[in-house]
Amino acid sequence: MAYHPSKRHPIRRLARFPIGFLLPAVLVLAAIVLFPTLYLLWLSVRHWIVFQPQQYFTGLGNFIALFRSSAFWESLRVTGSYLLLTSLLSFAFGLGLAISLSKAIFARGVVRALIILPLLVPPVVAGFAWKFLLNREIGLVGGYLFPALGITVSLLAHPTLALVSIVIADIWSKTSFMFLILLAALQSIPVELYEAARIDGAGARQEFLYITLPLLVPAIIIGLIFRAIDAINTFDLIFVMTQGGPGTATQTLSIFGWKTAFTYFDLGRGAAIAVVMMVLAVITTLFLTKRLQR
Amino acid sequence: MRKILIVLALALLAGAALAQQTDIRVIAFAQGFAWPDLFGSTGTEKTERLLAFEEQENINVTIEWGDETAVRQKVLTDLISGAGRYDVILLGSDGAVQTYGYSGFLEPLDGYLATGDLDQYITLSDLYPQFLTANTVDGNLYGLSYYSFGPGIIYRTDLFDRYGIEVPTTTDELSTALEQLKTGFEADGITDIYPLTMRGAPGEEPSLDLTGFVYAYAGYPAWFEGGVTTPEEIRSTRAKPIFTGDFRAGFESFVNLSREYGPPGIATHTWVDMMNLYSQGRAAVLLPSAINGYAAITSTENELVRDNSAFAPIVTGPSGKPIQSFWTFSLGVPASSKNKAEAVKVLALLTGNRSMQAFADQTQWPSVTIPSVMHSETLVNRWGSDEIDLNEAAIQASDPYYFPYIPELAEFMDKIGTAASKAITSGDVDSALNELQVWALERMTTAGYYR
Repeated sequence: MAYHPSKRHPIRRLARFPIGFLLPAVLVLAAIVLFPTLYLLWLSVRHWIVFQPQQYFTGLGNFIALFRSSAFWESLRVTGSYLLLTSLLSFAFGLGLAISLSKAIFARGVVRALIILPLLVPPVVAGFAWKFLLNREIGLVGGYLFPALGITVSLLAHPTLALVSIVIADIWSKTSFMFLILLAALQSIPVELYEAARIDGAGARQEFLYITLPLLVPAIIIGLIFRAIDAINTFDLIFVMTQGGPGTATQTLSIFGWKTAFTYFDLGRGAAIAVVMMVLAVITTLFLTKRLQR
Repeated sequence: MRKILIVLALALLAGAALAQQTDIRVIAFAQGFAWPDLFGSTGTEKTERLLAFEEQENINVTIEWGDETAVRQKVLTDLISGAGRYDVILLGSDGAVQTYGYSGFLEPLDGYLATGDLDQYITLSDLYPQFLTANTVDGNLYGLSYYSFGPGIIYRTDLFDRYGIEVPTTTDELSTALEQLKTGFEADGITDIYPLTMRGAPGEEPSLDLTGFVYAYAGYPAWFEGGVTTPEEIRSTRAKPIFTGDFRAGFESFVNLSREYGPPGIATHTWVDMMNLYSQGRAAVLLPSAINGYAAITSTENELVRDNSAFAPIVTGPSGKPIQSFWTFSLGVPASSKNKAEAVKVLALLTGNRSMQAFADQTQWPSVTIPSVMHSETLVNRWGSDEIDLNEAAIQASDPYYFPYIPELAEFMDKIGTAASKAITSGDVDSALNELQVWALERMTTAGYYR
């Protein structure tokens, strides 16, 4: 029998004022999310270099200085390349794996578990593992396998291949996340739709294009949003593998921001970079969400 | 019942005694091989020596270990927030002591040490003066050094003998020796040994070595016009950066040696990589930070490396001055510490004679700050008095001011190292230095040096 509190019951009274229920959560969120965000915004408009005694309001000064700096644009370019490559490739691999493993194949459960395994490996550990694997002097892949195949270049010390190496490590590490999301979405598609399509004479290609893909779009968008935000914020994997190098070939905004704040001691400009990263993540999310709403 | 009361009373007394102790918190890296005499070989114990110190001085010492990068971030955060969590902090003479010293974040140590009260732990006149100079900013001593090093060459005697190579004494001879090694390896079909290992990773790391090349080629710290090294000199002479000027020759030499004779991945190599390569017998010469060679020799399982390695003085450049590679693992006391006098006592304990000797006993590296420890039985027996004398001479010939002492040093070190990494990869020295020059001029202008 359902419980119906009387009209005078405190819960009924609170229900008339939803803010009563929301307030605790809002206060907690304000403390742990809003305050640091506002502090970051405040910091980004301050001139605060650790070794200079004067701190003052500089308006958009930090942002203007950033936009005039070639290092910023280079980092933005690297971040953009990393974002596109890792998001799209992990989506492509994740989708391929999800489709393959949604069918009844031998040892499907074991293979699924193996694919999910990299997700359990912390990015720092994954970074070290890939760094050692690809190392030109002692790495199993970079030092022995590739040279045996005639590839003698040092992957991590090459201005283009270093980024490719990091993208490979990222895809290895994060594709399983995309796989999980897409597999769950695939399994929720009613089989009746496929049966009806087959009765109407649809082939595998048409089933994929007109049933699977459209019904997967929400999951794809959600997966891409998570992957994009993750790619914009990635620090540990890159720091461990190349420290942003060689030179600045793999210096993303997160590495540049960290260096600016903690090596150059420019806290105001470091905060400005963090704000730019936040805006970039918001724009990417909005762009993808719009696609979801269509 | 009576027993319980006695135990409780004793516990309260002990608690009261502990409560009176002053807590001093230290933050540093190198857990395990730093201060084994105080924190044991795990870094988590309190040895009898430390307990005796605590009892004598009524101080409770706590140490917080971390990875070097994490430690540096914690120190910075603590200093700028003024939280005063740490009483003894890791500095290092390649940026931190300069930045924090000029900013007023550090407590000058001169006054505390002049009283003579700390002589039982450390006496400044016992130290190599170079290590004190390196931690002196604007006339104030801000840091005391634990293990620290000067430059040198660690090389494989068997490979030098095999190809009839003389130990080089100049940069020209060094190039010749490396070329002979390269030719010899090619002729013998040896593809897994590189003539040279150095560090070229982006960031401040290579700067410590490559600015030593600049010094040897130019004959002075060729960062700013006239070789000025302090903010006051730069301001008064309005000295502009000269990264496309006299800085170039040493930078180019470092880049070319790395490209021609180093391992393929050198543009991303840190001290760990250079040490590992030498330790595994994959490099014939390691320079100029000899400490990494000693670390390799004492830890290697490769008998060829262990039995056929030697130290040689670092080569001199065209100017007649030697290549530099000088660093101090220094510690200081933040101005925000609430217990500065006690913190200085702990600092003296950490960097004094007995601690340095314990380090030498544990590691056997001649990378110490005190002559009596350098000539101690442990190190002389391990390396021989000739090699010890050479190490001492390397420290004494070091010029800690081979790079400028400016608050922006850490940023410059990072930019210079990153430019080197880029040039090693691309081979384009001009564009790396042009970029550096433009950035440096803008940086110094916005910092107000040329008003």
